[in-house]
Amino acid sequence: MNLRNPRLPLLVAGAVAAVTLPFWAGDVYRVHLATLIAAYWILVSGLNLVVGFTGLLSVGHVGLLAIGAYAFAILAGTHEINPFVSLVIAGGVGGVCGFLLGLPSLRLPGFYFAMATLAFALIVTEVTLAQQELTGGGAGIAVPGFGGPFESPDGFYWLVAGIAVLFTVFTWNVSRRMWGRAMIALRDSDVAAASVGVPVYKVKLTTFTFSGVAAGVGGALFGALQSYITPETFVFELGMFFFICIVIGGRGVILGPFVGTIVLTALPEFVAPLANLGQFFYGALLLIVVLLVPEGIGHVFTWLRERRSPRTTDKQVVTPDLERLAAAIRAGREA
Amino acid sequence: MSVADVAASGGLQATRVTKRFGGVVAVDAVSLDLRPGEIHGLIGPNGSGKTTLLNLLSGYYAIDDGTIVLDGETLNRTPVQRRPFLGVARTFQKPRLLGSLSVLDNAMLGGWRDARAGFVGTALALGRARRDDAVLRARALELLHGVGLGGVLDRRANQLDHAEQRFLEIARGLAMRPRFILLDEPAGGLTEHEIEQLARVVTTLRDGGIGVLVVEHHTDFVFRICDRVTTLNLGRMIAQGSPQHVRNDPEVIRVYLGA
Amino acid sequence: MLTVLVTGLAVGALYAAAALAYNVMYSTSKVLSLTTGHIFMLSGVFGAFFIGELGLPMPVGFVGAIAIGTLFGVVTEFVAIRRVLARSDEHLWLLSTLAVATIVQQSVGLWWGTEPKPFPRLIPQDFSAGIWDQKYWLPIATIAVLVVGLELFQRRTLLGKIFLAVSEDAFAARARGVSVNRVRALSYALAGILGAVAGFAAGQLTFAYFALGLTLTLNGFIALAVGGLGSNLGAVVGGLALGLLTASATYFFGGEYQQTIAVGLLMLLLLVKPEGLFGAKRTRHV
Repeated sequence: MNLRNPRLPLLVAGAVAAVTLPFWAGDVYRVHLATLIAAYWILVSGLNLVVGFTGLLSVGHVGLLAIGAYAFAILAGTHEINPFVSLVIAGGVGGVCGFLLGLPSLRLPGFYFAMATLAFALIVTEVTLAQQELTGGGAGIAVPGFGGPFESPDGFYWLVAGIAVLFTVFTWNVSRRMWGRAMIALRDSDVAAASVGVPVYKVKLTTFTFSGVAAGVGGALFGALQSYITPETFVFELGMFFFICIVIGGRGVILGPFVGTIVLTALPEFVAPLANLGQFFYGALLLIVVLLVPEGIGHVFTWLRERRSPRTTDKQVVTPDLERLAAAIRAGREA
Repeated sequence: MSVADVAASGGLQATRVTKRFGGVVAVDAVSLDLRPGEIHGLIGPNGSGKTTLLNLLSGYYAIDDGTIVLDGETLNRTPVQRRPFLGVARTFQKPRLLGSLSVLDNAMLGGWRDARAGFVGTALALGRARRDDAVLRARALELLHGVGLGGVLDRRANQLDHAEQRFLEIARGLAMRPRFILLDEPAGGLTEHEIEQLARVVTTLRDGGIGVLVVEHHTDFVFRICDRVTTLNLGRMIAQGSPQHVRNDPEVIRVYLGA
Repeated sequence: MLTVLVTGLAVGALYAAAALAYNVMYSTSKVLSLTTGHIFMLSGVFGAFFIGELGLPMPVGFVGAIAIGTLFGVVTEFVAIRRVLARSDEHLWLLSTLAVATIVQQSVGLWWGTEPKPFPRLIPQDFSAGIWDQKYWLPIATIAVLVVGLELFQRRTLLGKIFLAVSEDAFAARARGVSVNRVRALSYALAGILGAVAGFAAGQLTFAYFALGLTLTLNGFIALAVGGLGSNLGAVVGGLALGLLTASATYFFGGEYQQTIAVGLLMLLLLVKPEGLFGAKRTRHV
């Protein structure tokens, strides 16, 4: 949320590395992996506003990812609609489904909401299995690519990465303005939020709907990257994986969950034993983080920085400037 | 001042308001009117229903009986989150701040009623969200300097000491541009010197035309700054009037001051 | 049609048992643990392992499964609850129990395999018994005994009364010298025993299957939400209703939309009656 960011050079370096990635990655598989991370991040960036900022524990976003992927496969594949049009529609379908899921479940208390999202993920699996004519059932369905310059792995990477940047900018814009403050207020004290007039339910529903759009777009690109999807592709554990990326990365920040997504996606690919352990590894990591650094690993750095430069904590006496206060109140009257 | 006069001059008016919790009557047919530009004290022993009455006025509890009227308009069923838009702000007995955000961000949140940009506009960085931010930031800055928190703008709210938290809550309430502000035990836990500063702030609010309701244990503070005082005991109103009048009321002395 | 009824009752009894296990843990900790279903899963898997693979006699396998369930309950309390409750953040326990549930489920998946394996016959009986087969009546009867036993425990024994005291007002109980930590650990052990006995008895119905935990965690919760949080009567009614409902839905519409129907009806109910059928109303404090 801080505009005067001392990490700006680091961000620029990261951006350059991301843009040039196909030239230094070495092999096609790594480009594929980077594309996967970007597609995941589109979903996670939206989910981050829900989990990290608004404090709503949604563990079932994999259901929305599946909806986006199937919508894209059916539109662009079965009906041969232009893939870019299909992508936009898939985002819209994700948003509508997010809205419909949020409509009843966001009225429920925290744990009930988490269970509702869990159930939603299982329902989506049930429906994709049952609606064989649409989704191919258990056998799955082929997902077309985007064609043209985006047919090659490198081209597709740039496309997905570009859309990921777009979503990052959206969430960054939201997080640093009044909407971001309202979301954090809902997370930290919904009583305080209501007392200043934040419409609790409306903000939650709007945020959740946006995360549905992000999940739909992310799902469409994810499906196109996989080129073939079955209900097995969207196991419940994947939804938990997204959730863990955010919790581990830290709440109320964007960079932390971003790094979390990269590391958690890439690590099992490079450290073979972890790949065998699969979700066990994520579960153990989540437990360690919750017990040791519940604020997320992202906050360890903040904490270290504050440690290194101890503030002068001399007790300041609050001394009001009454003339300024009176002027501010007058200005408020006239506004 | 008759009921009609209050309605004409504008005011927050509770008439025979009643709240029951199970079998217990927490607030029993209490009437109270808060006028613009006055400080109204609400005192009473523990469990007398002070905070419950404040929660009724700010909408956290629905009233079981009676009416709450603001400028002639009935508020009985108006939800909490609508009341800031009508000009009623409040603070909490136990400060409710956003610990992970800066002092400035906390105060800016109070300006939500004036934030016009929608979600999509904000995401697309349309000018309105930036203008909202600039206006609300400027307002919050002035208010924070005004209440004496100008030196800790960037500090996280969970690193503030107790007095700073109380003053920040007042600044956040003022950022709503309220016509009435309800303070729940603002002097609780403050030192003598800090209470003195609080008194100056509250008086400045009154002089600015805001109606202030002060729910307090600290009777000296209330009798010193308030224009009128209401005393509750066991949910009932036992005295109402000028500080002089209430201070000398035999019933008040018996149940409260004499205890 | 009778098969539908019997299957519904047996599955419903299992959901009811999961809801009861939720209640037992909730009463002392005010935590809804996502590990609830995994107790049943562990008992089923270890029952099958002890008896089917190691060839141990049935009573030994039974005791072993109970020991595993109890241990899991206590470990859950120690690892995921105790440290987290000390902090103020109310949602941290959701994450910690989710983490423990994931770890357990994936460990079993890695060790036992992800395919359901059969659970051994516990009582000699011909497989042609139809609706009188032990895979139906055994869980129904066992869980009925557990319900009565739990009720007697909570009403008649000193420990049960202490549980209720902690549940009503942990602060007051602590002031009277009750070790709330120890009572909480005991309640998690009790939930472990309850879940292990029920999971063992229902093993032939559910198979020894690593993903059973998640299903029971969800459906036990639905039963609980329908019946009303904290109410044992509600847990039983909610569980049986849910079991009968999904069984008849399977019969009439095929098994494809089981979960969808269950969750859809829960949502409808919660919108009309948020506290459930037998639950106490939630009140809000400022």
